[in-house]
Amino acid sequence: MSFLYLVISSLLLGILAGKYTTLDFGNLYEFMLYLLIFIIGIDIGKSKGLREELKKLGKLSLLLPASTVVGSLAGGFLASLLLKVPLKWGLAISAGFGWYSLTGPLLATYSPMYGVIGFLANLTREILTIIFYPLAIKKVPKEKAIVMGGATTMDTTLPLMAKFGGTEITLLAFVHGFVLTAIAPFLIPLILQLL
Amino acid sequence: MNIFIPLLLGIVVGYLLRNRIRASMDKPMSAALLFLIFFMGVEAGRVEIDALKLFVSSLIFASFTILGSLFVALLGVRR
Repeated sequence: MSFLYLVISSLLLGILAGKYTTLDFGNLYEFMLYLLIFIIGIDIGKSKGLREELKKLGKLSLLLPASTVVGSLAGGFLASLLLKVPLKWGLAISAGFGWYSLTGPLLATYSPMYGVIGFLANLTREILTIIFYPLAIKKVPKEKAIVMGGATTMDTTLPLMAKFGGTEITLLAFVHGFVLTAIAPFLIPLILQLL
Repeated sequence: MNIFIPLLLGIVVGYLLRNRIRASMDKPMSAALLFLIFFMGVEAGRVEIDALKLFVSSLIFASFTILGSLFVALLGVRR
Protein backbone atom coordinates (compact mmCIF):
# COMPACT_ATOMS: atom_id res chain seq x y z
CA MET A 1 0.00 0.00 0.00
CA SER A 2 2.88 2.39 0.76
CA PHE A 3 4.13 2.05 -2.83
CA LEU A 4 0.71 3.18 -3.97
CA TYR A 5 1.25 6.43 -2.05
CA LEU A 6 4.61 6.91 -3.81
CA VAL A 7 2.94 6.34 -7.18
CA ILE A 8 0.21 8.88 -6.49
CA SER A 9 2.80 11.37 -5.12
CA SER A 10 4.92 10.99 -8.29
CA LEU A 11 1.91 11.62 -10.46
CA LEU A 12 0.82 14.71 -8.50
CA LEU A 13 4.37 16.05 -8.38
CA GLY A 14 4.69 15.58 -12.15
CA ILE A 15 1.36 17.30 -12.83
CA LEU A 16 2.42 20.26 -10.66
CA ALA A 17 5.82 20.43 -12.40
CA GLY A 18 4.15 20.32 -15.82
CA LYS A 19 1.55 22.91 -14.92
CA TYR A 20 3.67 25.47 -13.06
CA THR A 21 7.22 25.11 -14.46
CA THR A 22 8.82 25.12 -17.88
CA LEU A 23 11.13 22.18 -17.17
CA ASP A 24 11.95 20.17 -20.29
CA PHE A 25 12.91 16.52 -19.82
CA GLY A 26 13.42 15.81 -23.51
CA ASN A 27 13.05 12.15 -24.42
CA LEU A 28 13.43 10.86 -20.85
CA TYR A 29 9.78 9.88 -20.75
CA GLU A 30 10.07 7.54 -23.74
CA PHE A 31 13.39 6.21 -22.52
CA MET A 32 11.90 5.29 -19.12
CA LEU A 33 8.92 3.65 -20.81
CA TYR A 34 11.10 1.42 -22.98
CA LEU A 35 13.32 0.63 -20.01
CA LEU A 36 10.31 -0.39 -17.92
CA ILE A 37 8.92 -2.56 -20.74
CA PHE A 38 12.34 -4.17 -21.16
CA ILE A 39 12.53 -4.96 -17.41
CA ILE A 40 8.99 -6.38 -17.52
CA GLY A 41 10.12 -8.56 -20.44
CA ILE A 42 13.08 -9.86 -18.44
CA ASP A 43 10.76 -10.65 -15.53
CA ILE A 44 8.41 -12.64 -17.78
CA GLY A 45 11.31 -14.38 -19.53
CA LYS A 46 13.04 -15.57 -16.36
CA SER A 47 9.87 -16.97 -14.72
CA LYS A 48 10.23 -20.69 -14.13
CA GLY A 49 7.83 -23.58 -13.70
CA LEU A 50 4.72 -21.83 -14.94
CA ARG A 51 3.85 -24.64 -17.33
CA GLU A 52 3.83 -27.22 -14.53
CA GLU A 53 1.70 -25.04 -12.27
CA LEU A 54 -0.76 -24.44 -15.10
CA LYS A 55 -1.22 -28.18 -15.57
CA LYS A 56 -2.12 -28.56 -11.91
CA LEU A 57 -4.78 -25.88 -12.07
CA GLY A 58 -6.44 -27.23 -15.20
CA LYS A 59 -8.62 -25.33 -17.60
CA LEU A 60 -9.79 -22.82 -14.98
CA SER A 61 -6.37 -21.19 -15.14
CA LEU A 62 -7.04 -20.23 -18.75
CA LEU A 63 -10.81 -19.78 -18.64
CA LEU A 64 -10.68 -17.13 -15.90
CA PRO A 65 -8.14 -14.87 -17.68
CA ALA A 66 -10.13 -15.35 -20.90
CA SER A 67 -13.27 -14.19 -19.05
CA THR A 68 -11.38 -11.17 -17.75
CA VAL A 69 -10.20 -10.24 -21.25
CA VAL A 70 -13.65 -10.61 -22.84
CA GLY A 71 -15.50 -9.01 -19.91
CA SER A 72 -13.10 -6.09 -19.55
CA LEU A 73 -13.22 -5.29 -23.26
CA ALA A 74 -17.03 -5.56 -23.23
CA GLY A 75 -17.11 -3.25 -20.19
CA GLY A 76 -14.74 -0.84 -21.92
CA PHE A 77 -16.91 -0.92 -25.02
CA LEU A 78 -20.02 0.04 -23.00
CA ALA A 79 -18.11 2.72 -21.06
CA SER A 80 -16.91 4.20 -24.39
CA LEU A 81 -20.49 4.42 -25.64
CA LEU A 82 -21.68 5.97 -22.37
CA LEU A 83 -18.85 8.53 -22.15
CA LYS A 84 -18.65 9.12 -25.91
CA VAL A 85 -14.96 8.21 -25.86
CA PRO A 86 -13.57 6.89 -29.19
CA LEU A 87 -13.75 3.08 -29.19
CA LYS A 88 -10.01 2.68 -29.74
CA TRP A 89 -9.20 4.55 -26.51
CA GLY A 90 -11.98 2.88 -24.53
CA LEU A 91 -10.79 -0.61 -25.47
CA ALA A 92 -7.13 0.29 -24.89
CA ILE A 93 -7.94 1.67 -21.41
CA SER A 94 -9.86 -1.48 -20.48
CA ALA A 95 -7.14 -3.75 -21.91
CA GLY A 96 -4.87 -2.64 -19.06
CA PHE A 97 -6.77 -5.02 -16.75
CA GLY A 98 -5.88 -2.90 -13.71
CA TRP A 99 -2.21 -2.56 -14.64
CA TYR A 100 -2.20 1.23 -14.29
CA SER A 101 1.57 1.62 -14.39
CA LEU A 102 1.68 0.11 -17.87
CA THR A 103 -1.56 1.43 -19.35
CA GLY A 104 -1.10 5.09 -18.35
CA PRO A 105 2.41 5.60 -19.74
CA LEU A 106 1.68 3.51 -22.83
CA LEU A 107 -1.41 5.53 -23.76
CA ALA A 108 0.33 8.78 -22.86
CA THR A 109 2.82 8.26 -25.71
CA TYR A 110 -0.16 8.70 -28.05
CA SER A 111 -2.30 11.11 -25.97
CA PRO A 112 -1.45 12.62 -22.54
CA MET A 113 -5.17 13.02 -21.77
CA TYR A 114 -6.04 9.36 -22.41
CA GLY A 115 -2.82 8.40 -20.66
CA VAL A 116 -4.10 9.98 -17.46
CA ILE A 117 -7.57 8.40 -17.87
CA GLY A 118 -5.91 5.02 -18.55
CA PHE A 119 -3.79 5.42 -15.45
CA LEU A 120 -6.63 6.51 -13.16
CA ALA A 121 -9.21 4.03 -14.50
CA ASN A 122 -6.86 1.10 -13.91
CA LEU A 123 -5.74 2.45 -10.53
CA THR A 124 -9.43 2.77 -9.60
CA ARG A 125 -9.95 -0.86 -10.68
CA GLU A 126 -7.27 -1.93 -8.22
CA ILE A 127 -8.73 0.19 -5.42
CA LEU A 128 -12.29 -1.05 -6.10
CA THR A 129 -11.04 -4.64 -6.04
CA ILE A 130 -9.39 -4.06 -2.67
CA ILE A 131 -12.64 -2.61 -1.31
CA PHE A 132 -15.20 -4.93 -2.94
CA TYR A 133 -13.54 -8.36 -3.29
CA PRO A 134 -14.21 -9.26 0.36
CA LEU A 135 -17.85 -8.24 -0.11
CA ALA A 136 -18.27 -9.86 -3.54
CA ILE A 137 -17.24 -13.35 -2.35
CA LYS A 138 -20.27 -13.44 -0.08
CA LYS A 139 -22.45 -13.63 -3.22
CA VAL A 140 -20.07 -14.89 -5.95
CA PRO A 141 -17.83 -18.03 -5.91
CA LYS A 142 -14.48 -16.83 -4.59
CA GLU A 143 -12.45 -18.32 -7.46
CA LYS A 144 -14.62 -16.52 -10.04
CA ALA A 145 -14.43 -13.23 -8.13
CA ILE A 146 -10.66 -13.27 -8.82
CA VAL A 147 -11.45 -11.72 -12.22
CA MET A 148 -12.27 -8.41 -10.52
CA GLY A 149 -8.59 -7.73 -9.90
CA GLY A 150 -7.41 -8.32 -13.49
CA ALA A 151 -3.64 -8.33 -13.82
CA THR A 152 -3.17 -7.11 -10.23
CA THR A 153 -4.05 -10.54 -8.81
CA MET A 154 -0.45 -11.65 -9.26
CA ASP A 155 0.94 -8.89 -6.99
CA THR A 156 -0.90 -6.07 -5.24
CA THR A 157 -4.28 -7.73 -4.68
CA LEU A 158 -2.85 -11.25 -4.20
CA PRO A 159 -2.51 -10.90 -0.39
CA LEU A 160 -6.12 -9.76 -0.25
CA MET A 161 -7.29 -12.78 -2.29
CA ALA A 162 -5.25 -15.11 -0.09
CA LYS A 163 -6.60 -13.57 3.10
CA PHE A 164 -10.28 -13.48 2.17
CA GLY A 165 -10.48 -16.25 -0.46
CA GLY A 166 -8.18 -18.73 1.29
CA THR A 167 -4.83 -20.22 0.36
CA GLU A 168 -6.44 -22.68 -2.09
CA ILE A 169 -7.19 -19.87 -4.55
CA THR A 170 -3.85 -18.08 -4.15
CA LEU A 171 -2.11 -19.98 -6.95
CA LEU A 172 -5.10 -19.56 -9.25
CA ALA A 173 -5.12 -15.80 -8.54
CA PHE A 174 -1.39 -15.60 -9.24
CA VAL A 175 -1.66 -17.47 -12.55
CA HIS A 176 -4.70 -15.38 -13.54
CA GLY A 177 -2.70 -12.20 -12.96
CA PHE A 178 0.37 -13.64 -14.66
CA VAL A 179 -1.49 -14.56 -17.85
CA LEU A 180 -3.08 -11.10 -18.03
CA THR A 181 0.27 -9.45 -17.31
CA ALA A 182 1.68 -11.30 -20.31
CA ILE A 183 -1.27 -10.34 -22.53
CA ALA A 184 -1.68 -6.62 -21.67
CA PRO A 185 1.64 -5.29 -23.09
CA PHE A 186 0.74 -6.88 -26.45
CA LEU A 187 -2.97 -6.17 -26.48
CA ILE A 188 -2.88 -2.41 -25.73
CA PRO A 189 -0.54 -1.43 -28.61
CA LEU A 190 -2.34 -3.90 -30.88
CA ILE A 191 -5.68 -2.16 -30.23
CA LEU A 192 -4.11 1.26 -30.75
CA GLN A 193 -2.50 0.21 -34.02
CA LEU A 194 -5.41 -1.78 -35.47
CA LEU A 195 -8.36 0.53 -34.66
CA MET B 1 10.01 2.71 -31.44
CA ASN B 2 7.49 -0.09 -31.36
CA ILE B 3 6.70 -1.25 -27.82
CA PHE B 4 7.06 -4.92 -28.85
CA ILE B 5 10.79 -4.53 -29.49
CA PRO B 6 11.94 -3.85 -25.87
CA LEU B 7 9.33 -6.34 -24.58
CA LEU B 8 10.46 -9.21 -26.82
CA LEU B 9 14.10 -8.27 -26.26
CA GLY B 10 13.51 -8.40 -22.50
CA ILE B 11 11.74 -11.77 -22.70
CA VAL B 12 14.61 -13.24 -24.75
CA VAL B 13 17.26 -11.79 -22.38
CA GLY B 14 15.30 -12.97 -19.33
CA TYR B 15 14.86 -16.46 -20.78
CA LEU B 16 18.52 -16.81 -21.85
CA LEU B 17 19.80 -15.55 -18.49
CA ARG B 18 17.09 -17.19 -16.36
CA ASN B 19 19.63 -19.18 -14.38
CA ARG B 20 22.01 -16.24 -13.92
CA ILE B 21 19.60 -13.49 -12.93
CA ARG B 22 18.95 -14.11 -9.24
CA ALA B 23 18.06 -10.58 -8.23
CA SER B 24 14.40 -9.63 -8.15
CA MET B 25 13.23 -7.21 -10.83
CA ASP B 26 11.03 -5.45 -8.27
CA LYS B 27 13.39 -2.60 -7.34
CA PRO B 28 14.53 -1.57 -10.85
CA MET B 29 10.93 -1.86 -11.99
CA SER B 30 9.68 0.31 -9.12
CA ALA B 31 12.34 2.98 -9.73
CA ALA B 32 11.67 3.09 -13.49
CA LEU B 33 7.96 3.20 -12.77
CA LEU B 34 8.13 6.15 -10.37
CA PHE B 35 10.19 8.19 -12.86
CA LEU B 36 7.86 7.23 -15.66
CA ILE B 37 4.77 8.28 -13.71
CA PHE B 38 6.44 11.56 -12.80
CA PHE B 39 7.19 12.29 -16.48
CA MET B 40 3.67 11.23 -17.36
CA GLY B 41 2.39 13.74 -14.80
CA VAL B 42 4.56 16.44 -16.38
CA GLU B 43 3.03 15.68 -19.81
CA ALA B 44 -0.47 15.67 -18.32
CA GLY B 45 0.17 18.90 -16.38
CA ARG B 46 0.79 20.72 -19.65
CA VAL B 47 -2.67 19.81 -20.89
CA GLU B 48 -5.84 21.50 -19.60
CA ILE B 49 -7.83 18.81 -17.76
CA ASP B 50 -11.36 18.79 -16.37
CA ALA B 51 -10.78 17.03 -13.03
CA LEU B 52 -14.40 16.03 -12.43
CA LYS B 53 -14.80 14.60 -15.93
CA LEU B 54 -11.55 12.69 -15.44
CA PHE B 55 -12.71 11.24 -12.12
CA VAL B 56 -16.13 10.19 -13.46
CA SER B 57 -14.59 8.63 -16.59
CA SER B 58 -12.08 6.65 -14.52
CA LEU B 59 -14.77 5.40 -12.14
CA ILE B 60 -17.05 4.33 -15.00
CA PHE B 61 -14.26 2.51 -16.84
CA ALA B 62 -13.12 0.75 -13.65
CA SER B 63 -16.64 -0.29 -12.64
CA PHE B 64 -17.63 -1.49 -16.11
CA THR B 65 -14.47 -3.53 -16.62
CA ILE B 66 -14.88 -5.19 -13.19
CA LEU B 67 -18.58 -5.90 -13.73
CA GLY B 68 -17.97 -7.12 -17.29
CA SER B 69 -15.29 -9.54 -16.10
CA LEU B 70 -17.52 -10.84 -13.29
CA PHE B 71 -20.48 -11.24 -15.64
CA VAL B 72 -18.52 -13.28 -18.20
CA ALA B 73 -16.87 -15.40 -15.48
CA LEU B 74 -20.21 -16.18 -13.84
CA LEU B 75 -21.91 -16.92 -17.13
CA GLY B 76 -19.20 -18.72 -19.03
CA VAL B 77 -16.90 -20.52 -16.59
CA ARG B 78 -17.87 -23.97 -15.35
CA ARG B 79 -15.64 -26.03 -13.09
